[in-house]
Amino acid sequence: MKALWRARELSTVAILVVEVLFFTWYLWPEAGRSHPFFNFGNFLLIFKYSSIYGIAAIGAAIVIISGGIDLAPGAIIALTTVVTGYLFVEAGWPLWAGAGVGLVVGALAGLLASFLIVRVKLPPFIATLGVMGIWRGTAFIITEARFYDLSSKLPPNWSIAGLSVDWLGPIVMIVLAAVFQRLMTGYQWGRSICAVGGNETAALFSGVPVNWIKTSAYVLSGVLAAVSGVVLAVVQGQGKADLASGYELDIIASAVVGGASLVGGRGSVAGAVLGALIFGVLRNALPQIPGATFYDRLIVGVVVIGIVVMDQVLTRRSAAN
Amino acid sequence: MKRVWMVLTVVALGAAWACGGGGEKAPEGPKKLRLALIPKGLDIPVFDYARVGAQREAAAQGDVEVIYRGPDKADELGQKQILESFIQQKVDGIAISVLNAEFMTSTIDKAVEAGIPVVTWDSDAPNSKRFAFYGVDDFKSGQEMGKAAAELLNGKGTVAFLTSLGAYNLQRRLDGVKDALKAYPDIKIVETYDLKEDPVRCSELIATGTNRYPNLGAWISVGGWPVFTRNALAPVPPTTKVISFDTNPPAPDLVKAGKAHVLIGQKYFGWGSETVKLLKDAIAGKRPANPIIDSGIDKVTAANVDEYIALWQKMESGK
Repeated sequence: MKALWRARELSTVAILVVEVLFFTWYLWPEAGRSHPFFNFGNFLLIFKYSSIYGIAAIGAAIVIISGGIDLAPGAIIALTTVVTGYLFVEAGWPLWAGAGVGLVVGALAGLLASFLIVRVKLPPFIATLGVMGIWRGTAFIITEARFYDLSSKLPPNWSIAGLSVDWLGPIVMIVLAAVFQRLMTGYQWGRSICAVGGNETAALFSGVPVNWIKTSAYVLSGVLAAVSGVVLAVVQGQGKADLASGYELDIIASAVVGGASLVGGRGSVAGAVLGALIFGVLRNALPQIPGATFYDRLIVGVVVIGIVVMDQVLTRRSAAN
Repeated sequence: MKRVWMVLTVVALGAAWACGGGGEKAPEGPKKLRLALIPKGLDIPVFDYARVGAQREAAAQGDVEVIYRGPDKADELGQKQILESFIQQKVDGIAISVLNAEFMTSTIDKAVEAGIPVVTWDSDAPNSKRFAFYGVDDFKSGQEMGKAAAELLNGKGTVAFLTSLGAYNLQRRLDGVKDALKAYPDIKIVETYDLKEDPVRCSELIATGTNRYPNLGAWISVGGWPVFTRNALAPVPPTTKVISFDTNPPAPDLVKAGKAHVLIGQKYFGWGSETVKLLKDAIAGKRPANPIIDSGIDKVTAANVDEYIALWQKMESGK
């Protein structure tokens, strides 16, 4: 099983490499011009924007592997930008304190979802759909359609420890992916997440604290979405209630493209980050092809279906062997 | 199951209390005119200035109450539902910024047939029975942006557009820009980017587009997405000009900083205050001779930005 997972992550890496090679070839510049896609600055851009989805996709993957689904990350991202923005811009708190409260809000959001799922026994889809509305609505109530301009209070060309703020998202994403990949594969908690998602009843009879495991998955998903929100607020300089609208579907798609099975029990957080990068490359490269900006919805849809179908074929073949 | 009902009951009671169901009854006073102000979406910051303008005008008039309600985001069906609910409530007048003219025309007509005067603002439904439209001519505004770009580029260079597909007023502005640029054959349109009303996507597209076209002459944005934050234009080199719609803060600061060069703004507070006046007059039987009331535009450049900031502060404070 472990070998299959590893193979699945490798296939995600292979898709990403093929994608990069394709766009490098397709966007090859005329003689004398620098390459518009294959250059360091552009790769940083891809990481910078993918990190908003990728950080939240780590949490989404954990929830999906545990057999659930979380539709709230987009709303939690928006609420976190609003809370951080309000405390930093309006209340005059230091940025770190505003961001800290934003993360607590994310944890509370996850806790509410897990309460509805574990205690009230609502289906995860319904519970997180409701929670999504509650947090998006809360963000609108706080802002009353205005937005918090964090960029007005942050120094221009801001850097952290000598690194441009553009690096914040990519570094946070990579560190979190490494930490959670280790937790998922090398610790009892990660194995329990897979066990609960694979067969909840069997996990219960094996002594796995199912409710606690599910609660931890949703709380982490909330916190990771909030981390994504803090990154968005700092890098984009805005706290706004409609930010990240519809991102929940891209976040779930990143996890699924990265190998998370929607029936639970299988997947990888590193794969989810790779999935976010696959979409990030598409979002970056397609606008560089003249006229392709109008086709990107269609192309992204085809890519999701193509990768998931390929995954299923590979899984069936492995099972047959 | 019992527990579920308990939770639902608590939520329902809480909601009723929050909505004022359990509050004290408002004291009876002279009957006020109830006017509904409907924006395209509550998530679009500029519409909040319309609310401020309307409520300020209502307070000045004394006998008017403004009810501001719109869909959370630009959702046509949501807006239609809100319009229908105001017809049901038999409000005295409706001012609406129409998301989709064809889709909304029959409902606007239904309101008028029910005896409720309707005025459109910002975005019109020209084939409906609304008695007036207050706002800018989007095509002309687009032409202004095109001309401004041509002047900044001395009639020569490359331009890229930022828009969101599907919105009629944005399309009209884009048509206006293209129309003005026809007079400048040495200006080449290299790309039209669809940012899907997503400000994060806007930043991403500006960064990607700058990477793709490092010698781009000008960005022309038919909406205010690039100037609603200071960060979106950070990757744009000083050689590239930026012409954008919308003049509300922090946009003028970007002009001062040399990141944006020409801004085209609308009469945001007027959307509310002028439509309240128009509705009150219509209820009293007085209608404008010309149903199309061009509010005019504000053009902000480095030459007048300080003046505009002072004016904005005055408008915002209401003094």
